[in-house]
Amino acid sequence: MTPLAWSPRQRGPLGLYLHIPFCRQRCHYCSFNTGPYRPAAMDRFLAALLREIDLVGEAEWAGDVAIGTVFFGGGTPSLLEADELETILDRLRKRLAVAPAAEVSVECNPESLSRDKAEGYRLAGVNRLSLGVQSLDDDLLARLGRLHSSQEAGRAFEAARAAGFDNVSVDLMYGLPDLDLARWERTVREILAWSPEHLSAYALTLDEGSRWAGEGVAGLADEETVTAQYWALARLAREAGYEHYEISNYARPGFRSRHNQVYWRAEEYLAFGPGACGFLGDVRYGNVKPVERYCALLEAGHLPLGSHEVLTPAQRTAEKVILGLRLSDGVPLAGLEDRRPLIDTWQSLGLLEVAGDRCRLTEAGFLLSDSLFVELLPAHS
Amino acid sequence: MALSRIRNFSIVAHIDHGKSTLADRLLALTGAMDPKKAVDQVLDSMDLERERGITIKQHTVCLPYRARDGQEYTLNLIDTPGHVDFSYEVSRSLAACEGALLIVDAAQGVEAQTLANFYLSLEANLTIIPVINKIDLPQADVEGTRRQIAEILGLDADDAIPISAKLGTGVPEVLEAIIHRIPPPPGDPAAPLKALVFDSFYDPYQGVVVYVKIFDGRVRAGMSALLMSNGRVYEVQQVGVFTPEMRPVEELSAGQVGYLTAGIKRVADAKVGETITDANRPTVVPFPGYRDAKPMVFAGLYPVEDTAYQSLRDALDKLHLNDSALTFESETSLALGYGFRCGFLGLLHMEIVQERLEREFGLTLIVTSPSVRYRVVTAAGETVEIDNPSKLPPAGEIDHIEEPLVRASVFAPTEFMNPIYRLAQDKRGEHRALEYLGKRVHITFDFPLSEIIVDFYDRLKSISKGYASFDYDFLEFRPSDVVKLDILLNGDPVDALSVILHRDKAYEKGKALAEKLRAVIPRQLFEVAIQAAIGSRVIARETVKAIRKNVTAKCYGGDITRKRKLLEKQKEGKKRMKQLGKVEVPQEAFLSVLRS
Ligand SMILES: Nc1nc2c(ncn2[C@@H]2O[C@H](COP(=O)(O)OP(=O)(O)OP(=O)(O)O)[C@@H](O)[C@H]2O)c(=O)[nH]1
Ligand SMILES: [Mg+2]
Repeated sequence: MTPLAWSPRQRGPLGLYLHIPFCRQRCHYCSFNTGPYRPAAMDRFLAALLREIDLVGEAEWAGDVAIGTVFFGGGTPSLLEADELETILDRLRKRLAVAPAAEVSVECNPESLSRDKAEGYRLAGVNRLSLGVQSLDDDLLARLGRLHSSQEAGRAFEAARAAGFDNVSVDLMYGLPDLDLARWERTVREILAWSPEHLSAYALTLDEGSRWAGEGVAGLADEETVTAQYWALARLAREAGYEHYEISNYARPGFRSRHNQVYWRAEEYLAFGPGACGFLGDVRYGNVKPVERYCALLEAGHLPLGSHEVLTPAQRTAEKVILGLRLSDGVPLAGLEDRRPLIDTWQSLGLLEVAGDRCRLTEAGFLLSDSLFVELLPAHS
Repeated sequence: MALSRIRNFSIVAHIDHGKSTLADRLLALTGAMDPKKAVDQVLDSMDLERERGITIKQHTVCLPYRARDGQEYTLNLIDTPGHVDFSYEVSRSLAACEGALLIVDAAQGVEAQTLANFYLSLEANLTIIPVINKIDLPQADVEGTRRQIAEILGLDADDAIPISAKLGTGVPEVLEAIIHRIPPPPGDPAAPLKALVFDSFYDPYQGVVVYVKIFDGRVRAGMSALLMSNGRVYEVQQVGVFTPEMRPVEELSAGQVGYLTAGIKRVADAKVGETITDANRPTVVPFPGYRDAKPMVFAGLYPVEDTAYQSLRDALDKLHLNDSALTFESETSLALGYGFRCGFLGLLHMEIVQERLEREFGLTLIVTSPSVRYRVVTAAGETVEIDNPSKLPPAGEIDHIEEPLVRASVFAPTEFMNPIYRLAQDKRGEHRALEYLGKRVHITFDFPLSEIIVDFYDRLKSISKGYASFDYDFLEFRPSDVVKLDILLNGDPVDALSVILHRDKAYEKGKALAEKLRAVIPRQLFEVAIQAAIGSRVIARETVKAIRKNVTAKCYGGDITRKRKLLEKQKEGKKRMKQLGKVEVPQEAFLSVLRS
């Protein structure tokens, strides 16, 4: 079984995710698939990644189905030199039908994004940067295990602008240890003053595999505080003209992340790199996670597929609703006919709105969305 | 078979004194069980018995024994349960015997069920052989135990046989004592058949398998058997003995214990105490019959999934086939829908039934708070029995309510007397008698049954460091000032959470219950108000605050499968939730009524 055997349902544009599995240092809250950066390991990985692109490029549909978005995630993709990134993008364009107007995003850490590098990225075809700022509090940044200061974050943002990027996103975290509401509001105000096109803000979660989940962490915010921070952000972003278009995402009109919307609309996307996840036809699949194993498989000429599951029609329908409700656009009411009592309850509690033939979660509903999604799971999955 | 070569006996004792372990040794010594293949307490064959390490049902086994006098004997051994809930099993086993081995743990001494089972054996006119067990334990006090056997039971202490069932020490002497002290069964093999039914179980292939003790005559396959209480006639299909597996034999004759099958469809058609005779040559006087096991504790059983009602009925039907003490009738609850009001011998019995239903039949159940059966005398002078609090008539229609009382025996070292009296007072106990037995006391109390069914035994054990033991018997109904305590969720009464209790305890219980419910009801999308009320008077109130957030903020590079798994985990947690109006209430909430 390989992704080559599965073909996309849609002939329309696919998303494409590439995972760069290295960091100079792992952040204490992070549970992602990433390991320590070593130049030799990076070189070996890049060779394997190109190989993976070549192999997927052999699929019979590879030349026809347009790629609408490309996203470099990690790890720390900005560890890539501009020429390395260019090599990858060139290979993608050679083997797959990357649309000329594709959105091409790279996640960047402030300490590894210089103006030169940003410029190089732009020349290679990148048109959107997502900057991992997380916090503007130097003490907190140090506690999180980040390698940059708030000042460096500001400089990196300016570097992106100076290099000509007119679509820059900033990542923030709230619910952080000892972060009080006032400090959070100051952070948000300052970030909004930078005028990024896009803003993602995640409440801290202690995911299994992270250092904090293992060792515990002092000063965690209580639910009350986290909720207040969510609402403060929602209010400040709205006042500054941003749309709260997804549970954790805000954008100025016209700058929603196209790539992320592929996920939420349950559209299809390809995956490259260790641990990367894809969705093709009815199949959700994931590559093997260890970098070493990923490279070894490709060196032996195999696709590095780790796991996959074939969705039943019921699962697909349910996922479409669950994922779609993460977006402020919501979903067609038609798919929820048999869940009328649930919808009514949520509506009466002000958590959901029905407008015309669609329904969507309110900002209050976003905060409780998992409680609704649990109800919407198919009966026997 | 010559009557003089048969001995029929039960092994009785307080719980855990080593009955089943002694049975193991007897099986091994007589060659009935290959010691290499044997497991501990081999007769405890039900899964639940093995897991909990206790005997729940009586187990009969037929042992061939060559005695020291060189003669071959047939010994019919019946191992019995020690727990008070199952004393019914003991008394019907005794009806098939001429003797009883009364085991006393040398480290524990005589305890409450020792005495209870001693009396049962006396009533059944049995020859009692006292056996002092666990003499291998360092804390064994053989002489002290001898003294208790003499003083408390009035038996000749010199007759007691010290043994270690675990190591086998003294067990050969037990076998010889069985031969020499227990009389052979009376009976006349030439007389018309007269057999006593002392137990039965349902087998899907053979129908009801009836445990019989033959008092007179003989029985073999092909005979027409008449069941004297109901006049039904069946053709006997098979007769046999337990080895412990069922082994068919040609014939069972006077004095023997074994089984027969006769195409009987329902256990209820061959009740314990029934007389089976030859339809063509009937005996004249049947046995007097036997009282049915009477449930003492009642609770509602409801499937969490409404659609499982029929499966629950089928499962209860099946369990009832082999457990006549379990009663059930359908009932409806506004909160829980369709279910059954079930009667149990006690809480252990209730737990076991629930566990079997969930395990063997794959059901997920809600069990409501157990209640005793009250007698309500209405203003119109009628008497109704109420075992479901929600069925209690309105206060205005009640003249008075009577509650069941039990007479209870507590055995304990003297040093624990004070806390025991305090506990008894807290449980509305009335002191009846006190007897000093050396370093120990035997206290008799009368208790309302409702006070002791739930946590009395656990508390007694804990205040006495495990040394106190306890036994009880139904005494009488007595007028009592009891009231109904209701629980309301967001203003709506939840019938399945109502309890009947003494007025003096209502306030405290209402408060505890509301607090407990606050702890077990998960936070929901809206605030949940919990109220405890007597009639229209609210006596306690608690609030479950609304949930503030439940959201997966991040999505990991499109790893939707992971997100879905997290949701599925949440959903799994909700499986045991029951929707009451808009409020989701977990299964434990119903049990918390019991535990608070
Ligand atoms: N040391 C020691 N332990 C024993 C002896 N006889 C039994 N036991 C232990 O005592 C415990 C109870 O033994 P059982 O034979 O199950 O007792 P029981 O009387 O059948 O118990 P119920 O059927 O539940 O009333 C077990 O852990 C046995 O191993 C003995 O002679 N010496
Ligand atoms: Mg036993």
